[in-house]
Amino acid sequence: MPRSFARPDRARLLQALAALVLLAGYADLVAGGVRFAPMLLVVGYFVLIPVALLAR
Amino acid sequence: MTSSRPLDAPRPSYGAAAIAGVLVLVLYLLTLAPTTAMWDTSEYITAAYTLGIPHPPGNPLFVLLGRVATLVPLGSVAVRVNLLAALCSAGTAAVWFLVAERVLAQWFTLRWARYAGAAVAALLSATAFTVWNQSVVNEKVYTVSLAFFAVVSWLTVLWCDDPDGRRADRILVLIAYLIGLGYANHPAGFLVGPAVAVAVLARRPRTVLRWKLVLAAVLALGLGLTPFAVEPIRAAHHPALNEGEPTGCTESIGFKCTFSSTTYSRLMDNINRVQYAKPSLSERQAPLSAQAGMWWLYFKWQWLRDAHGAQSGLQLVLAVLFFGLGVTGGVVHWRRDRASFWFFGPLIFTVTAVLVYYMNFKYGASQAPELSDVPREVRDRDYFYLWSYSAWSVWAALGLAALWRTIAVRVKADGAGRWLTTAPILLLGAVPLVGNWRDASRAGETTTREWAHDLLNSVEPYGILITLGDNDTFPLWYAQEVEGVRRDVTVAVTSLLNTDWYPRSLLRRPIVPYDAAKGPAAYRGRAWPMPTTPIFSGSVAQLDSVPEYVELRTPQLFQQGNLRAVVDPRQLEYGVPVRSDLLVLQLLKDNYGVRPFYIARTTGGYVQALGLTPYALMQGLANKILTGPAPTNADTVALGGVGHIDVQRSLELWRGYGGPASIIARGDWVDRPSVGIPVTYIGTALIIGQVLQQQGDTAKADQLRRTAVDMAQATRTLDMFMEPERSPPPAVPSGDAPRSAPLPVNP
Repeated sequence: MPRSFARPDRARLLQALAALVLLAGYADLVAGGVRFAPMLLVVGYFVLIPVALLAR
Repeated sequence: MTSSRPLDAPRPSYGAAAIAGVLVLVLYLLTLAPTTAMWDTSEYITAAYTLGIPHPPGNPLFVLLGRVATLVPLGSVAVRVNLLAALCSAGTAAVWFLVAERVLAQWFTLRWARYAGAAVAALLSATAFTVWNQSVVNEKVYTVSLAFFAVVSWLTVLWCDDPDGRRADRILVLIAYLIGLGYANHPAGFLVGPAVAVAVLARRPRTVLRWKLVLAAVLALGLGLTPFAVEPIRAAHHPALNEGEPTGCTESIGFKCTFSSTTYSRLMDNINRVQYAKPSLSERQAPLSAQAGMWWLYFKWQWLRDAHGAQSGLQLVLAVLFFGLGVTGGVVHWRRDRASFWFFGPLIFTVTAVLVYYMNFKYGASQAPELSDVPREVRDRDYFYLWSYSAWSVWAALGLAALWRTIAVRVKADGAGRWLTTAPILLLGAVPLVGNWRDASRAGETTTREWAHDLLNSVEPYGILITLGDNDTFPLWYAQEVEGVRRDVTVAVTSLLNTDWYPRSLLRRPIVPYDAAKGPAAYRGRAWPMPTTPIFSGSVAQLDSVPEYVELRTPQLFQQGNLRAVVDPRQLEYGVPVRSDLLVLQLLKDNYGVRPFYIARTTGGYVQALGLTPYALMQGLANKILTGPAPTNADTVALGGVGHIDVQRSLELWRGYGGPASIIARGDWVDRPSVGIPVTYIGTALIIGQVLQQQGDTAKADQLRRTAVDMAQATRTLDMFMEPERSPPPAVPSGDAPRSAPLPVNP
């Protein structure tokens, strides 16, 4: 696969993953979760979103 | 024309910076608090542990981070949250190493010399008093905020190096995201924004005309703000700590009540800190010169805290020295690395001059003591300038490096020799490490935890305890919610009873069974029936309808059963009964004969102001309000005009208290504004001792008196007890007393 296609795909994948993790975190939070919800949200906000924003 | 980074400039020494950060972390571990501490520490640990909501703006990002920290199986819950503060500040020191090294790279050719200068920046920034003191106990959210500042700083520096590079736009978008995220930790997160804007405009002005990039940055900033959604979601679950209650859901979370105007207005009130009702910036709370003077006062603390004024001359000399070094460092920064200066200079200006103006503080708690009638902050606010002192340390280190270079080039030696022989000048950078160790360290500090246990244990099972403010309340929340101690006791703090949400949260609080095995010996051997009625007899709507105050200025009779109290509004804080006074009396009425009712002895003359003196029976650190007048007999002795004392109960409780030994072992007290806590202990020991003396038990009386004197010497409060009469100890400051509406002025 040409690089020009591969890289945007990786960025979109990371963005989707970040969105998914945040959604899962908020869903657990709404359900009253106090263990996995904060873990998912911290990973989403501190790791996945920054990585997704920097990804090419 | 701005200079760019030379192509042949050395790469950033990430490895060396990491080592510097690890060494700083080791220092913080050596001086880390083993448990909670005074002021907001307990509140934030409790908020993190319960995934609750601390005082406005609610700091949702910190709560998430803190909650994750509490899940790490390492030490106690308090230690885990304290470690979070230490890690953030150690990371900041590592970034400041990189910033300093980068500037030094422009004029120091020797790598080790650059490292030495950068290490001084890391050391100074880590050991400046306020940074160090706040990094070894998580008192606030400011160390997390500082870490955001550092990361944004470094990203901005990277962008300035190559504003047209492949990753430049992404870095800018990431910076915008982090600024938003930083705001979700604390509003100070936005303070870094102006510096980023100046750097962008100075380095590549046309960037702001690229609307797609600007739009992406705005969206990223908005994304960074989304952790605020945590507040209404968690609030709807009604956690133990739910300050501001930013939800319209009364029972459980639901779509309709969450997306309601009530939720929106309460959330916005929380985010905008409406309950603090700060005046507009045009209405100065102190002269601007005094507000700048406050910054300078705390600036002096950074290099040699000298908490008791024993070395004020040396402290001033050091402050002038480090101020001069900082100015020199700023000039050097401007000359040697213009690209990063355009960020760092405006950053220091924002977190210093702009912040002084914006915070609009009253006189500092320990500022200008000769002025007796000026409004003052309830405590010293040095932590608001944490970012200023941390960043200034980088410039001070650059100034010290410049001094080193100036001397080195004049030495008649070759090559590295001249640098080596003059390197001892850098030892000036270790001055705060040595000078601040005693005051900044929190190692072995356990008094606050002991205080919380002691005060809770002064209350009989299922009792209600009326408290006054931060320091006689937050530690109790920590003990109850984090350590599970005496959860059967209902703590009601008067400063929060003036809000609308707090009485509701008291009403929702479940009745928790008393655990006799964990309770003090004084309560063993008898049954304590668990109450079945709610703490307030009224509904939520009735609680909400309690007025802010009642326009009554003449004495009023409060009667319930055998209790007849004459409440004199002139003795109350506002000259009229306010919401908190009305709710305290309502609690007394609703729980008469059902729950033991106590008023903490840290509340000063509140018992007297409510006309409850004839019913007050001192039991250790609290006054129990009896259902009828206190009798006078061998065990219940009258204390001239301030109630009675239950001698045996107080003595038994005293024997179980851990606070006195902890205070004496520490040999000092954290600050003067919170000295009401040790003073309450000292007063307790003196009163019990005096009564025992009158009863002929000289040995016990002498022992108590010795303990009291030891505590007074340790906390430097001996002067308060020159006349050891039975006057109530000073009230504990209530901190940022929240109110939901302006209250009447005391006539």
